[in-house]
Amino acid sequence: MIAMDRFQNRNLRFILWMSLIAALVSSCYNSTAGLTESDPNNSDAAIKYAQRFTLEKTDSSAILTVTDPWQGAKGIRQVYHLVGRDLETTGWKDTSAIIRVPVKSVICMSTTHVAMIAALGRIDAITGVSGAGFIYDPRVRERIGRGLIREVGYESGLNHELVLSIAPDIMIAYGIGSESAGYLGKLKELGVKVLFNADYLEKDPLAKAEWIKVFGALFSLEQPADSVFDSVCESYNQIKGFVQRHSAGKPDVLLGLPFRDTWFVSPGDSYPGRLIEDAGGKYLWYDTKSTVSMPLSLEEVFLRSLKADYWLNTGSAASKSEIASLDPRLQEIPCFNTGTIYNNNMRISPSGGNDYWESGIINPHIILKDVASILHPEMFPGYELFYYRKLE
Amino acid sequence: MKSITPDRIQPRDHKALIFIILAVILLLAFCLDVLLGSVSIRASDVLAALFKKGDPGIETIILQFRLPKAMTAVAAGIALSVSGLQMQTLFRNPLAGPYVLGVSSGASLGVAIVILGFSSKFIPGNIQTLGNWALVISAWTGAGAVMMLIMFISSRIKDIMTILILGIMLASGISAIVSIMQYFSNETMLKAYVIWTMGSMGNLSAEQLKVLSVTVAVGVLLSLLTVKMLNALLLGENYAASMGVNLKFSRLMIFAGTSILAGSVTAFCGPVGFIGIAVPHIVRNIFRSADHRILLPGTVLAGGSVMLVSDMISQLPGSSGVLPVNSVTSLIGIPVVIWIILRRKRETGSF
Repeated sequence: MIAMDRFQNRNLRFILWMSLIAALVSSCYNSTAGLTESDPNNSDAAIKYAQRFTLEKTDSSAILTVTDPWQGAKGIRQVYHLVGRDLETTGWKDTSAIIRVPVKSVICMSTTHVAMIAALGRIDAITGVSGAGFIYDPRVRERIGRGLIREVGYESGLNHELVLSIAPDIMIAYGIGSESAGYLGKLKELGVKVLFNADYLEKDPLAKAEWIKVFGALFSLEQPADSVFDSVCESYNQIKGFVQRHSAGKPDVLLGLPFRDTWFVSPGDSYPGRLIEDAGGKYLWYDTKSTVSMPLSLEEVFLRSLKADYWLNTGSAASKSEIASLDPRLQEIPCFNTGTIYNNNMRISPSGGNDYWESGIINPHIILKDVASILHPEMFPGYELFYYRKLE
Repeated sequence: MKSITPDRIQPRDHKALIFIILAVILLLAFCLDVLLGSVSIRASDVLAALFKKGDPGIETIILQFRLPKAMTAVAAGIALSVSGLQMQTLFRNPLAGPYVLGVSSGASLGVAIVILGFSSKFIPGNIQTLGNWALVISAWTGAGAVMMLIMFISSRIKDIMTILILGIMLASGISAIVSIMQYFSNETMLKAYVIWTMGSMGNLSAEQLKVLSVTVAVGVLLSLLTVKMLNALLLGENYAASMGVNLKFSRLMIFAGTSILAGSVTAFCGPVGFIGIAVPHIVRNIFRSADHRILLPGTVLAGGSVMLVSDMISQLPGSSGVLPVNSVTSLIGIPVVIWIILRRKRETGSF
């Protein structure tokens, strides 16, 4: 097992682990509560953007704390102790919060988790996914086809027996609401380690990407994870700065599609709102604040959309005629005639998996460049869109 | 409060006055519904837009959003209230309504198959690309299938209470199937479905509004033909039969009318609750009459107004948000139904 560690992780961390084993023998007999009290100062500094998790290094383990892991959660903290596989934990009171690292078998409930693992080059560790049809990565799909990765179902349709038979080191889940914790409760009871990933709740594009550090800790690949994130940050901020310095104006941007006569509008302080801001655009609802999408009447959105220069993220609509068939009145939105409608559906797998929702999480710089080049085409001559596509 | 019987004998001109007042209220509610909305528009701008002389944006909002929405609300209010009146008389039950026979559950099944069933093979969001007509046609098919089944049963079974119970059982059975489909669907699909069940008036395209208007007109005409039968049925089926009413034929007519009215409203606007139960009672109490020659036109006028008011409230004038219209109609309708039940304790109802 130690050899394995060294193989995967030829870095200082390994030496650190080894030198700390002696200290560990005493400290791991402390209760988990004792461990969480350890000095947090050396950890938070490492997390720059993410709001929903902290990662603390202690002598014996890393403590991962996920805060408010689902929408509307208040004051909920989930603490996980990432402990090396070769370390003794016999004295720990609560073993359910211990995750042995590096993990070797992972079930991913979201495509974003798959993308993070893929970015660390550890697709081989994925043993189960939820919604196999929504996955874009051809390597993952190939492994699903070969039966190396199983479909475990989702929410209430979760196949508990299959999960138990896979017996993953960890199941990475996400919660839509507090009751979501319920369907996973049984699995926890049966000893499956469930980690709530709140990447989708992060409002900042870079904060979402920063969750790769969690995966880095899980796979004991902290340095590769840090370097992926650092390079993403660098590219993102470079593009952001370039746009801010050189763009001529801020075009108005409309987002999304209505459902019947209600348009669920993303608030200004949301991920798409911030991304448009960083790409040198002005989101039509940039001044709104909310934790959830706001249900607005179609006429309200329509009136505001009259001044939109661009219309992005048209959801399921892959062509202008599909938008028109949804509601013929949407053709009256000026973008419809100027042809400035773009959707993030350039990369779709045959079964409908959209890479924007998968690798997009770890490539905010590419999404930013796409949007910036849509809003300011003169600044990115010859750039070919990666996730986005113009609707015809 | 006096007992009902003496009050029923009202002078004719008194009733005419009530009709005029109801018509004025309907007109007023229609104008207000066009005037008020999420976006504040001055009355003068609304007028300018109506004559196509104003700001093009405002013009689109008035002509393509608010007018069709108000017209839909009138059509839906009329259709649901009239079919509710017919069902209450036919089943001699004050809590009967347009959906008592499972029309709305049939429609929900149709919609659930489209939203929750099919689309699971595609991207969950894909349901939206099926366009405006997909949900309408599927809801219509579901509602129609249930009504055909009920009509078939009613041609075989004589007792109307048995039909009522079978209708309710059928509706519960269908709801159970829809629940299974909901259970196995993901949150995006579930949200799309739940939003459909909340109802909306403002999603109809121009052609769809035409289709709805025509079907509601046909349904109301059919119901006008049943007025005599309904009056006879008030006195009991046996009595009606002794008066020469063909029970099976009248049932068929009434069921056909209801399925056309409630089915098309559910298809276009989603299941809109309580209007169909509450409005006939409001009208009975205003006119203090059980004569369907008066109740039917009264229900048409009052149904349109109540739906318009519900739509206005759901738009929360002055704020940018909206409420689901189904919640508003329920919150208006429930107190009415409670009031009816409490009154019936003290007085003899009209059944």
